[in-house]
Amino acid sequence: MRVLIVEDEPRLAENIARSLRESAGYAVDVAADGQEGLFLAESNTYDVVLLDLMLPQMDGMQLLTRIRQAGQVTPVLVLTARDEKESVVALLNAGADDYLTKPFDLGELLARTKALIRRGKGQPSPVLTIGDLQLNTVNRTVQRSDRTILLTAMEYRVLEYLAHRPGAVVSKTELLEHLYDYNWEKFSNVIEVYISGLRRKLDDGSDRQLIHTVRGQGYILQD
Amino acid sequence: MLLSKSIKARLIATVVISQALLAAGLLFAGVFYTHRRLVATLDAALQSRAMSVAALVRYTEDASGNLYFDDSLMPRSLDPAHPDLFEVWTERSGLLTRSSNWPAGLEISAGPDHHWNLTWDRVPYRVTRVSHVPVLDREEGQSFRPQALTIVYAAPLIRVQEQVRAAGVFIALASLILLGATFLLALYGIRQGLLPLQRLAEQAALVSARNWELRLPADTEETAELRPLIQSMITMLARLERSYVQQREFMGNAAHELKTPVAVLKSTLQSLLHRPRSSEEYRAGVQEALEDLERLERLLQWMLRLARAEQWAHGALRRDLDLIDINATCEEAVERIHNLAQSHHTRIHLATNGKVLFRADPEDLQLVWQNLLENAVRYSPEGGVVEVAVTRKDGGPARIMFEDHGVGIPPEDLPHVFERFYRGDPSRTRATGGFGLGLAIAKALVEAYGGTITAENAPRQGTRMTVELPLNRSN
Repeated sequence: MRVLIVEDEPRLAENIARSLRESAGYAVDVAADGQEGLFLAESNTYDVVLLDLMLPQMDGMQLLTRIRQAGQVTPVLVLTARDEKESVVALLNAGADDYLTKPFDLGELLARTKALIRRGKGQPSPVLTIGDLQLNTVNRTVQRSDRTILLTAMEYRVLEYLAHRPGAVVSKTELLEHLYDYNWEKFSNVIEVYISGLRRKLDDGSDRQLIHTVRGQGYILQD
Repeated sequence: MLLSKSIKARLIATVVISQALLAAGLLFAGVFYTHRRLVATLDAALQSRAMSVAALVRYTEDASGNLYFDDSLMPRSLDPAHPDLFEVWTERSGLLTRSSNWPAGLEISAGPDHHWNLTWDRVPYRVTRVSHVPVLDREEGQSFRPQALTIVYAAPLIRVQEQVRAAGVFIALASLILLGATFLLALYGIRQGLLPLQRLAEQAALVSARNWELRLPADTEETAELRPLIQSMITMLARLERSYVQQREFMGNAAHELKTPVAVLKSTLQSLLHRPRSSEEYRAGVQEALEDLERLERLLQWMLRLARAEQWAHGALRRDLDLIDINATCEEAVERIHNLAQSHHTRIHLATNGKVLFRADPEDLQLVWQNLLENAVRYSPEGGVVEVAVTRKDGGPARIMFEDHGVGIPPEDLPHVFERFYRGDPSRTRATGGFGLGLAIAKALVEAYGGTITAENAPRQGTRMTVELPLNRSN
C-alpha cells in the first residue's frame, strides 16, 4: 500500500511516515505544501491520502476539492487542528472520507488509515479470505488451512495488495506504483522475484494454486 | 422615594399637581368674582329700595312742614325669609322712622353716602346710606322750606353668601371631574409615549453574544428623545462585538497554534514507543521530543509576552518610568539580534543622530526593536542589509524606521501583518521559525506608549516598518 502525507510541519510528517512504514509496512510519500501534494496526488496513485488543512501555497481544502474534481476516488483522511462542527461538515462535504483532530493518537491514525484503505477497495473486514487463505491486516499474519506462513516484509506487501483486490488482474506496474514510494527506483523484475517467492510459500503442500499469471497483463489472486 | 423612581409616576404627578393648582386658582377667582358681582347687584338694589322708602315720606296736611312715614305702601323685603332693615332721618327733627325689625341698640352714625358690611348679633348685613334725598311729596305754593332726608337701608347677606357658596361648589365639582379626566388622559398619553422606551428595553434584552444586532421598530428608532441613547447603544454594541470577536479569534488561534506542537510531541513519543528500540534510538527519540517541547515552550513564552504587552497596553499596569535614550535601546537590540543576523549573513546598519530621550521601560522598547529586527532579518536575502534609522523632528515624534530588501509583503497582506498569529504565507514563517506573534507584540507595546506602527513596501524593494513615538507626552 502507498500513502501520501501532505503536512507542512516536518516533524509531524516524519513521525507519521515512520509509524506507517514501521507498523504497517506501507510505502509513504511526504509533501510539505499544497502544491507539492497536488502534484504527487495527480502523478501517482495512492491507496490513501493523509491531508493537513493549514498548508502553504494551497490549503488542504482546495487540494481536496481539486483532486475530487479530477475524479480521484482515493480515500482522504484529513488531519485538522480545528474541530468545530462547521469545518468538519464542510470537510466531509468537500469529499473527505474521515478526519482526525490534532493532537491525535498515532495508533488511531494507523487504524483509521487501514480502515479507509479496506473500504476504498470494497473490503470491510480486516481479515481477508481467499479460498482457504486468510490474511490478517491488523497483525499482518498469513494462514493457509490453519498453517501459518511466514513472509518477508515485501512479500507480505505484495500479497496484501493482491488480497485487497481478489479476482482482479493486477499489473506489475500497478504493484510497483503501490508498493514503493517516490524515492525508489522501480524495477519490474523485482516483482517477479516476490511473486515466485510468494507462490512457493503459499502453494507449498497444497494442490490448488492461488496466484495466477495472466500473460502480458499481470497477476490474479483467486481460488 | 417611589415617585422619583418611575418616569411615568413623575410625569403623572406633574400633570395632576399642575391641574390641581389650576383648579384651585380657578375656584378662588370664580368665588371672588361671583361675590363681587352679587354684592354690586345687591348695592344697586339697596339704593333703589332706599329711594322707594324716601318716596313714602309725606308732609302733614297742616302746612307745618312736618313729615310722616306712610308705611302702608312699604314694598316687600328683597328676601322675605330675612327681612330688610331701614331707618329715615330728617334734617330738622332727626330720626323719623325705623323698620319694626330694627335690632335694639344698633345705632348708625351719620356720614357720607356709602355701602358697607356690618355684622350685628352674628348676622351679616350689607348697608347703604343715601343722604340729601328731597321729599317728593310737595305741592305748589308751599310756604315752608322743603326738607332733605337721609335713608339707611340694610339687607342680610345670607342669600349672597349662599349663592357664592353654590357657585364655589359648582366650580369645585367641575374641576374635580376635569381633573379625573386629565389624570386618565395623562395616564394613557404617557403610557403610549413611553412605549418606544419599553420596546427598546425588550430589544436590548435580545442582544447576546450570538446576536449583536439591535433591531428596533421604526417608531422607536424615530423617537427624538431616544435617538442619542440608541446611537450610543449601537456604537457600544459594535465596540463590544469587535472586542468579543477578537477575543474569540485569539482563543481559537491560540488553541490552534498550540495543537500543532502538541501533536508533534505526542507523535514523536508514540512512534518511539511503537516497538522495542535500541538505546541509541531511544536517546535520539527523547532528544527529538525535547526539541519539540522547547518549541512548544517558546510558543507559550511568546503568547504570554503578547498577553502581558496587551494588558500593559490596556493600562492595567502603571509603572514609574525613567527618561531613556532610544538610540541606546536600538543598539542593545541590534546586539541581541547579532547571532541571528550572522547566521543569515545579514548586516544591520543603524543610523542615529544625537540623543532622543523618551520616558519608557528600556526592556519594552528593546523587545519592540528586537521583534522588528528579527522580522527584517528573516525576510532579508542572504548577504542583505537591514537598515535602521532613528530620527526626530523638532516638536514632532521620534521616528524609528526598519527597512529590509527582501521580497516584501503582498499588498493584500499589509493591513493584517500586525494581527496575532497572522501569517500571509505560512511556509515562509514556518520555515523561518516565527509564530506570527512578534509584530502583534510590537504593536501592542508601541500603542501602550501612545505611538503608532505602520508597515509598507519599501520604495525599491523589501519592507519598511515605521514606529513613531510621541516625545512631548513623555518629556
